[in-house]
Formats: sequence, C-alpha cells, structure tokens
Amino acid sequence: MSDSWRSETEEIHQRRRWADEHGGPEAVAAHHAAGRSTIRERISTLVDEGSFQEISALTGQGRYDSGKVQRVQPAPYIMGLARIDGRDVALGGEDFTIRGGASWGSERRKGGQGGFIEDLAFNYRIPLVNLIDGAGGSVASIKRRGHAVFPGVHGFERSVELLGIVPVASAVMGVAAGGPAGRAVLSHFSVMVKGTSQIFAAGPPVVERSMGIKLSREELGGAKIAVDGGGTIDNVAESEQEALEMVRRFLSFMPQNVWELPPRHACDDPVERGDEELLGIVPKHRRTPYNMRRVIELIVDRGSAFELQPTFGKSVITSLARLDGRPVGVIANNPMIYGGAMDHKAARKQIHFTELCDTFHIPIVFLVDQPGFMVGPQAEMAGTLREGMRAVYVGAKATVPIVTVVIRKCYGMAGMAACDKAGLNFKGAWPSAEIGNLPVEGGVRAAFRREIESAEDPAARQVEIEDELRALASPFRMAEAFAVEDMIDPRETRAYLCRVLAAAESRLKTTLGPKFQSGVRP
Amino acid sequence: MAKTEVKSEITGAVWKILVKPGDVVGVDEAVIILESMKMEIPVLAIDGGKVTEILVKEGEAVNEGQTVAIVEV
Repeated sequence: MSDSWRSETEEIHQRRRWADEHGGPEAVAAHHAAGRSTIRERISTLVDEGSFQEISALTGQGRYDSGKVQRVQPAPYIMGLARIDGRDVALGGEDFTIRGGASWGSERRKGGQGGFIEDLAFNYRIPLVNLIDGAGGSVASIKRRGHAVFPGVHGFERSVELLGIVPVASAVMGVAAGGPAGRAVLSHFSVMVKGTSQIFAAGPPVVERSMGIKLSREELGGAKIAVDGGGTIDNVAESEQEALEMVRRFLSFMPQNVWELPPRHACDDPVERGDEELLGIVPKHRRTPYNMRRVIELIVDRGSAFELQPTFGKSVITSLARLDGRPVGVIANNPMIYGGAMDHKAARKQIHFTELCDTFHIPIVFLVDQPGFMVGPQAEMAGTLREGMRAVYVGAKATVPIVTVVIRKCYGMAGMAACDKAGLNFKGAWPSAEIGNLPVEGGVRAAFRREIESAEDPAARQVEIEDELRALASPFRMAEAFAVEDMIDPRETRAYLCRVLAAAESRLKTTLGPKFQSGVRP
Repeated sequence: MAKTEVKSEITGAVWKILVKPGDVVGVDEAVIILESMKMEIPVLAIDGGKVTEILVKEGEAVNEGQTVAIVEV
C-alpha cells in the first residue's frame, strides 16, 4: 500500500483535465465555428495572465463503471478568482458547449443570480464580472423535481444587494434570456457583442407563440434593439475581445468596493495643458452646434474618456474619464442631438450615470449646453417631464462633489439638473454661456405682449427687447452679481477642474461606505 | 458600388439642402441641415461617395431614423 495520497491527488488533476474539455471536442468546434470563444478562452483574454484561480472545477455529473469514475461532464458554469490590472475580481460565466449553458440543478448554484460567485464578490468585497452566455432555466426541471417552483427560488436578492456594495460588470457574449438576461441588467455596466449576442426577456419561439410574430434572435434582441433602441444593455462591441476590453476599462475607474476611493492613476498629461482649439470650438452663431465629444477629449486626461451608452439617449453624453489621474464622471449635453435637450431616454441615462458615480465616490463634472426638457406632443407622451424631474431628484440626492461648467446654454429645470443644488452649487461659465430660467426668445412675447403690440413695428420691437435682455443675460454680468461663481477661460478648464477636484477629494473620504437611499423617486 | 442611406438622428424640419444628386461628399460631411429645437443641426454622411438621391424637400418634416439621402460609396 502506498504511503502517500499521490494517486488520489492525481485524480484531482485528472478531473480538472476533464473540466478543461468543456462539452467535448465536437461541441467546442461547433462553438468556434460560430465565431465564438469558449468560456475559458474568454476568461484568459480578460484577466491578467496566469491569475485565474478556478473554483470548483470538479463539479459536474460523473459517469461510473463498477464504482470507478470514467469521466465527469463539467457543470455548465465556470468561475473563480482572477486579477484584472492587478486587482482581485470574482468572475464566471456559462459554458455554452455544455447543454447550451442551461442552469444546472445542483443544490448550491455556482453562478448566475444567487450563485456562489455572487456570494464570493459580496463576502470578499471585490468586483463581480459576469460573462453571460445562457438561456437560464428550462421547464424540464419541473419533471426532474416533480413539482414547480415559485419564481425566484434562485432570486435576485444578492444581485440587487451587490449593486450598492461592489462594481458589477456583465458582458453578454451569446444569447441571454430569462435569468441570465435579468442578471445582465442588474449590473453597473453591461456590454454585448454586435451580431453574435442577443438578449431578451423571452426568445423567438415564445414571441411567436404568444404574439404570432415571427422574428429572428437578432431582430428581437440584437444590439440595435437592446442597446440603441431600448438601452437594456449599455454598450456594443464589435468583437468578443473588444467587449472584454470594455469590461477591463470600466473596472479601471472603479474602486474594489464602496468603502474605498476609486483608484488614482499616474497621469503624464500636464494639468496645465490648455488647448487653443477650445477657444473657437463653440461657434459664435448661436444656432450652430459643435462637437461636444471633442470638448470632453480636450479637457480630460488624454485618452481617458470612456463613454457609457453612447448610442442611447444621445442628447446627453455620459463618460467616465480622469482628471490628473482621478476618476471623474462627465455628463455633457450633445448639441448635435435636439440641441442637447433632455428627452426621456437622456434623463434615464443621466440618472443611471449619476447613481453610478455617487455609489462609487466618483465626482461629477457637468459640461452644460442644455436648452431644457424636450418639448412637443411625442415628448409629453413619453413622460419626459417625469423622467426629467427624476433626473433633477437624483442629482439633488447625490452626495459626491459636482462641478458645473456652462459651455453654452443652461436653461430651465433641465439646467437645474446639472447643478449641485444640494451641495456647494459651484458653477463656472465659459464666455459663450447663456443662462436663465427660460430662453429669452421663448419668453419675450408673453412677458412684453402689450409693449410689443402697441409698438409701431411690433416685430422690430420684439427683436429690440430680445437683444436688450440677452445683453443682461451675459455671463459677465452674472459673474459680477455672483450668480455664477466664476468665469473660466475655456483653455483653463482642465487646470481649473483638476485643482478643484483635488481639493474635493477630502470630502469624498467622508462619505465612504454604502449610501443610504430614502424617499420615493418621482 | 454600395449604396448607403444617410439617416437623420433626430426629428426636425429640413432647413437647407446642401448637395444635389451627382455631388461628391466626404465622410462626416453635412448633406442637409435640419431645424430642431431652434438649432441648425447637420445630417452627416457616414460614408463618403456620390450623392444619388435626395429624398426630402426644404420645409419638410423629418422623423428620427428617416433616410434623407442616398450616397453611392
């Protein structure tokens, strides 16, 4: 008899080798032929080389002959610890090559909502990465159990709790329906792959049966619908590799958990850099729009801007970026889309981004060119006022420092949503700024009706009054009256913001930890 | 020769048409200008090429996602 555990230990390694085989060579080849990577390949693309510490590789269904194990078909979920940019994360994903990644009936789940991977992220206070490629439960489980289960037997309680504790990023790498689809949405950041991933509450067969509409997966839940149309998923990537790169990029701005400050990176872009281009970037002609993304690029640390939801609610741009190496959330209106007016989609996007920044102690910089809420019957029908006021509400509840720079227009209640009204309310203005409760042209006719109508040339009088009022609305006059706290040379915006946010870091340290939310959002 | 559609990202009214069939436009060059929310907002060609059709008239209302011109790449 051997005096060591060598052969038993060798069995651990044998069983791990079986796990490495996924659903077998044919299933892996079919998966590759469809232009997809296996879950193990995805993990190794995403994480620091050699950092993946798999947990529970041995879980699966064993096949035995005379009591001796022949092979184990691995559970269709692979997970463990890994490092991304040197920092620990909990990560996992469905293995599509094994029964299409369908959830597996173990007592304790490895992944998905309520799975070990969520408990790991929660208990160790480390970010969670979900690499989603599965359709969730199957009615076949009723037959196996002999009874139905209540919805939520594997509930989203933990997934919900995680959103206030650690960063959660989800990449939809294949088809996500049911539980995995819900799981993807309960994330701080989500991305899907153009053409090869789809997400829906229920897939084409269910839709055909319940509504009589025949659609392909792509027509029902491709990126065009789920990202550009519904905003169900935040970003779209051209390839699996790009999707994973976005997850890595997103996490680079995030702290490990809400008890830490977000990480400051070394910055080789001089704080004092002031681009001359900023001087002429806003056209003198008030009705001509300009490229706000370029404004952001010129102000933040070179190459640091990472835009979330770029194709949804496009009248606002929400971008994570860095200023002197410190993470910052930039919310900028896009004059190319409805002049930057806030519609219901832009409001939704601004709300999510504000809460993301507030939860992870990332200060917010508003670059404002806001004419107001979107107007018109369609906008009213879409509930713009309610969604917009929710943006005002969420902005007022945020406790991170918020700095406002008015680039051009700042009007009305939507303009109010761009200020730190509940905090320092620190607002700077570029010389191109025009600010007010409502735009001069909209209000003049109503406010000065008698005077305009009794004039010899009413139209000319109206223009005269407009010009007169516009001169009074000059940011210089506002700065004199301390109605804006400062005027900023556009070229100095970067240096100014870097200086202010460095000082504001002291404040951030006093609000670490989970943030208590109370009250009813409108 | 592939045809690409130049689509408006917004709802608005056609204020100015800047090109005519036969003209060559570059990438991100304005094809028409819409008036929306009191702004003059250009609709840009995503791909450069020869304009083959203009599908709208000045003053006409345009919806979000509507094709306003065809460019042959």
